[in-house]
Amino acid sequence: MEAFDRLPDEINHLVSEFSSIPVFGTLMAGLTQYTFWLVVSSIVLLIVVFAYVRRLSLVPHGIFSNVMETAINFISNDMCQQIIGPTWKKHFPFLASVFFFILVNNLIGVIPGMKPGSGTISTTAALALVAFIYFIAVGIKQHGAIGYAKSLAPKGVSFPLNVLIWLIELISLLLRPITLAVRLFCNMFAGHIVMGSFALMVTLFAEPLLQEVTASNILGALPAVAFAGILLVIYAIEIFVACVQAYVFAVLVAVYIQGAEAEGH
Amino acid sequence: MGVIGYGLGVIGAGLAIGLAAYGVAQAMARQPEVQDRVFTVFIMGAAFAEALALIGFVVALVVR
Repeated sequence: MEAFDRLPDEINHLVSEFSSIPVFGTLMAGLTQYTFWLVVSSIVLLIVVFAYVRRLSLVPHGIFSNVMETAINFISNDMCQQIIGPTWKKHFPFLASVFFFILVNNLIGVIPGMKPGSGTISTTAALALVAFIYFIAVGIKQHGAIGYAKSLAPKGVSFPLNVLIWLIELISLLLRPITLAVRLFCNMFAGHIVMGSFALMVTLFAEPLLQEVTASNILGALPAVAFAGILLVIYAIEIFVACVQAYVFAVLVAVYIQGAEAEGH
Repeated sequence: MGVIGYGLGVIGAGLAIGLAAYGVAQAMARQPEVQDRVFTVFIMGAAFAEALALIGFVVALVVR
C-alpha cells in the first residue's frame, strides 16, 4: 500500500494550492486566481441576465427563459414574500443579486480546472459585510438610529434584565457577518478539498497501471474504480451544495432584513 | 491531533443532522402533504449543522 504512504504529502500540496496565489501582479495589488474566476463568473452572470432580459416576454418560450423564470419566481415567492412580508419588493433586487452572484460563483468553481470566486474568505467576508451594512441601514431607515438600537432588546422586560438581553443581542448581531462569511467559505473550501483528495486517491492507485500493465498492477488499480465512483457522487453533492449555500446565504439575509424591519422582537 | 479534534467536533454535527432527519421523517409520515415545506426546512437545518462540521474540517487543515 505505498499509495497511502504518499497521500499525506500530496494532500499537503493540495491544501497549499488553495491559498491565494497572484496570477499577475502582487498579492496586495494584482489578480489572484480567486479574483480572476470572480471576474469570469461576474461576466458569465451579466451575459446570462442580459440574454434573459432580451427574451423577456409575457409567456416565456424555451428552456432558458423558463429556467430563469422559475428561479426568479422561487426567490420572489419563497424568499421575499414569505419571509419579509409586504415590503418585499424593496429588497427583492438586493436579495436576487446576492443569490445569483453566489450561485454562479459556486457553480463556476465546480467545473474542473476552475476555482470558485467564493472559495476564499476575503470574497465571502466582503459579501457578508455588504449584507450586514444593508440590513443595518434598513433598520436605521425604519426606526432611526436610536430607535433601531433600542429595538434590539424586546419590549416589556424589567430594567436590569433589559440591559443584559440588549448586550447579548448586540453580540449576536455583530457575529452575523462572521458566521455568514465563514459558512460559505468553509463549505466551498472543504468541498473542494474532499473532491481533490478523492481525485488524488484515484491517480495514486491507477499510476502503476499506466506505467506497466501486469496482473498485480491491474489488481492494485481496482480501488481506483471505487474511488472514482465515490468522486462522482461527491461531485453531484457539491453541485447540490453550491445551490443550497447560495439559498442559505440569501435566506439568512432575508431573515435579518425582516428582523431589522420588524417592530421590536 | 487535528484529526482527533475534528473527529470530536463532528460528533455534534452528526447528532444534529440525525435529529433533523428524524424529525423530518416523522413529520412526513404523519402529514405527507407538508412534504415540500418540511424538506426545505430540513435542508436549511442540515446546512447549518453541516457548516459547523466543515468549520472544524477547515480549521484542522489550515491551523497546524
